[in-house]
Amino acid sequence: MEAMPRCRRYRTGGTQPTVGDPAAVVLPVGVVPPETAPVGDIATIVDQETTSDRPWLVIVWNDPINLMSFVTFVLQKLFGYSKEKATSLMLDIHNKGRAVVSTGTRERAELDVFRLHEHGLWATMEQSG
Amino acid sequence: MNSPIKRRRDGRYVIRLDANARVVLANLSAQLPDALANRDPMVRRLFPPAYTAEDQTAAEREYRELVDAALVNHHTEALETLIATAEADSLSEEEFAAWLDAVGSLRLVLGTRLDVHEDMEAPDPQDPMAAEYGLFVFLGELQFLMVEILAEALPDEGRPESAL
Repeated sequence: MEAMPRCRRYRTGGTQPTVGDPAAVVLPVGVVPPETAPVGDIATIVDQETTSDRPWLVIVWNDPINLMSFVTFVLQKLFGYSKEKATSLMLDIHNKGRAVVSTGTRERAELDVFRLHEHGLWATMEQSG
Repeated sequence: MNSPIKRRRDGRYVIRLDANARVVLANLSAQLPDALANRDPMVRRLFPPAYTAEDQTAAEREYRELVDAALVNHHTEALETLIATAEADSLSEEEFAAWLDAVGSLRLVLGTRLDVHEDMEAPDPQDPMAAEYGLFVFLGELQFLMVEILAEALPDEGRPESAL
């Protein structure tokens, strides 16, 4: 996670490009030159910046086909969880309908979801709220 | 322990399974590769969605483009390994893993077709689905025993880097 939102850091820079200035063209998408941005817009930009930093959750859902021992085994094998932790996650999946089995960047979550799909588990991913 | 599945000292696996059951496994497995290649609706359970939110349809489409061919290859290779080794006296670690994958794929396809649910009762023997349900139960028993053997080899304490 970055120490401060990107538009604030940008504002502390030297020259302030104006609209039409070639320097403005290379700004990251979504970043408006500060002097042209009303306060409300800056708040939106900051919000978007932090949105991309929120971790992704990998969720395994209860399904009526996979065996409980198989789900525990897959969680131990793929994530290296202890038998106790994998069993506890499996019981959450079974009893509560779903459990978060890993968290991370979007790329990491997508890889975990893929590995779970290879093993036939019903896994999805969503960004933490 | 009285399991019909053993891991030998040389690391190979032996499954005590009668010849008819081996033929059934190979024949069932032979039905899936074409269905996988053609994305037949009967194998849809092998392609769960990654992104389900309404505003993530583009992400889901990208995910499908990224992984579907890999999922097809992964499951097809496992099924082909099972078919090729259906009558083998013993299986290597990789072959045993392929059997587990193939048996899992067969269970998911059959279970979806049977619309199984938790605490489901076995269908009446006259039910046209009874034979298929019997296969589903057989595959579940086989998977359970295979997992039991593989789980024994995993460290109870997990791998050190795995704290969530």
